[in-house]
Amino acid sequence: MVNEKQLKTEAKKLVARDDVKYVIGYEKGTYGFQVTPCFAFTPEDTERFIFSPLCVHNLAVYFMLEEKPPLRKGEKEDTRKIGVVVKGCDARAVVQILQEKGLKRENIVIIGVPCTGIIDPKKINAKFPHQVKTVDVKEEGNNFVFNINGKTHNIPKEELLFEKCKQCEYPTPVISDILLGEPIKGSKKEEYKEIKTLEKKALQEKWKFWSKEFERCIRCYACRNACPLCYCKECIVDQLSPQWIQRSVNLSENTVWNIIRAYHLAGRCSGCGECERACPMNIPLTKLNKKIEKDIKELFEYIAGLNPEEKPLLAMFKPNDTEETIL
Amino acid sequence: MKVNNMEKFVLPKEKLSEWINKIISTYQVFAPVKEEELIFFKQIKNPSEIDLEFVNSAVPPKVLLFQQTETLFKFTNGKNIQITPTTSHNEKTLIFGIRPCDAKSFSILDHVFKGDYKDPYYLTKRKNMLLVGISCNQPAVNCFCTSFDDSPTSSKHVDVLLTDIGDKYYVEVQNEKGKQLVESTKKLFTPATEKDSNKKKDVEKKAFDTITRHMNIKNVDTLVKKLDIIFDAPYWKNIAMKCLGCGACTYLCPTCHCFDIQDETTLTKGARIRIWDSCMRPEYTLHASGHNPRPGRMNRVRNRIYHKYNYYPKNHQVIACVGCGRCIDNCPVNIDIIDVITKTAEVKP
Repeated sequence: MVNEKQLKTEAKKLVARDDVKYVIGYEKGTYGFQVTPCFAFTPEDTERFIFSPLCVHNLAVYFMLEEKPPLRKGEKEDTRKIGVVVKGCDARAVVQILQEKGLKRENIVIIGVPCTGIIDPKKINAKFPHQVKTVDVKEEGNNFVFNINGKTHNIPKEELLFEKCKQCEYPTPVISDILLGEPIKGSKKEEYKEIKTLEKKALQEKWKFWSKEFERCIRCYACRNACPLCYCKECIVDQLSPQWIQRSVNLSENTVWNIIRAYHLAGRCSGCGECERACPMNIPLTKLNKKIEKDIKELFEYIAGLNPEEKPLLAMFKPNDTEETIL
Repeated sequence: MKVNNMEKFVLPKEKLSEWINKIISTYQVFAPVKEEELIFFKQIKNPSEIDLEFVNSAVPPKVLLFQQTETLFKFTNGKNIQITPTTSHNEKTLIFGIRPCDAKSFSILDHVFKGDYKDPYYLTKRKNMLLVGISCNQPAVNCFCTSFDDSPTSSKHVDVLLTDIGDKYYVEVQNEKGKQLVESTKKLFTPATEKDSNKKKDVEKKAFDTITRHMNIKNVDTLVKKLDIIFDAPYWKNIAMKCLGCGACTYLCPTCHCFDIQDETTLTKGARIRIWDSCMRPEYTLHASGHNPRPGRMNRVRNRIYHKYNYYPKNHQVIACVGCGRCIDNCPVNIDIIDVITKTAEVKP
């Protein structure tokens, strides 16, 4: 993993720049295995920065959450850049937003972290359920090493990694201004094993599966708000006239909501899995996104969030496209 | 109607199913049921559906009193409008296995729904509902009910409280309602001995010791006053910077009670419904003029905290937080209410 000293030095330099407003990284959380986003406005703030396999969040979301209150008379717009620490999957979200012109490249600075895999909080919390003190994790070979209450635990990485990390093809950020350490070559391959199993099920069975999942949805929209690519000015679910999706929380409306969100991410989702991590009801949302990602790969040979110069999938066409209905 | 000298019994564990079966014949029973590794309070038909291996349910049991979606009445459109009120909930219900903290949340919610405007939907359900609680022998990492001078084994807000003391349950009858329930199935219970009472005390002490996270509230008034003077502190902005603005904390809070009312219609018919709302959403305070008095995440995050720790104690003399830890467990970015409140002590006005 990343040399924290180098991370702090680079972040410090960045915050000190006149053209940078703040830098977003990670710091220790308040208990157990928690890590929390950290906003550094001053060089001193960056002393709190850490990077460990517990840094789950996709911080790219904060670009889109930046609030721009109306300017007072005579007040000038703050055009300084925002810096952010990104992992491989997070960087793809940034590229996707750039493609869509949701962000301007000159308004952001990216500190890239070549990532060797992140720990799934659900898995680690199940192993050590009553962990109050914050825990440090180190990576040694194929193990994660925890020091918990004076005892050292060596746990194979495979046991704790997020499923997405086990198939990650782009561990090194595809975009960055400062890359910390050496790039890591992606050696894994996304096999879509779970998706293929689900695809084989009969329609009725699939419907039963998703009904059971969507029934639990409480429409807190943690999935949407944790997603860096859900940045519509007004989300369809909030619209009142016309009201496309009713406020009633029931299977029908929940299904509409979850499917619309998945569709709106078609060709855009970078697979960071933040929606599923944020979901308090354990709805396997990445399964929806991965299915669409797989279809798009097969149909259009397209992978979201790789090249900021490319046009978004649903905003381009190729003259040599064999589909006659398009041209 | 408190029973003087609260009555105490024991119920052998093997008799629990028999007791619940008896209860099911009279009441609609809601109990903790496991689904996808999460616990929900659901109506059960058979004691075998119950899962007592849990700390907190995913969704707080407030959902049984104050439903996420509640139809207030139905109507037809057109010239001859007909309005059909929803049938009132006159069924006798019983929540089995409610935790002392969640039961306390009902007492807190009562202030709102029993206040200046009596809410018939809530109150009818509340009146017909019996609470059979189960002590929290093993509180989880983010449990902090003891910070409010409560106990994970408190019977204060339930009608009957069971405490697992090994091979049997220690049964405390809190009031007349609880007494009637136990009376009707008295054969199953035997009076508790001093040894049983001591065992319950041991369980309580152990549970207390398991709670290691504490919110630093020495005195409610002091906290209320402190919050009064730090309303404009940059502290709130710093916390809100990382807030994503989702509603997980409020929806999963046992004391959050904000709702919205809407008419949902098709061409010919419709219903007026009430749904949970969340102060974390910009739309919550959006005026028709387009003005929003809580325009930023800072305003909204601060409101959530102040509603619980400042406005509510001012209005109802009780903090609107029971220390269940759900908002901490479920915040995707680790906004931790224990930390937020504890650190207010150091915040300068």
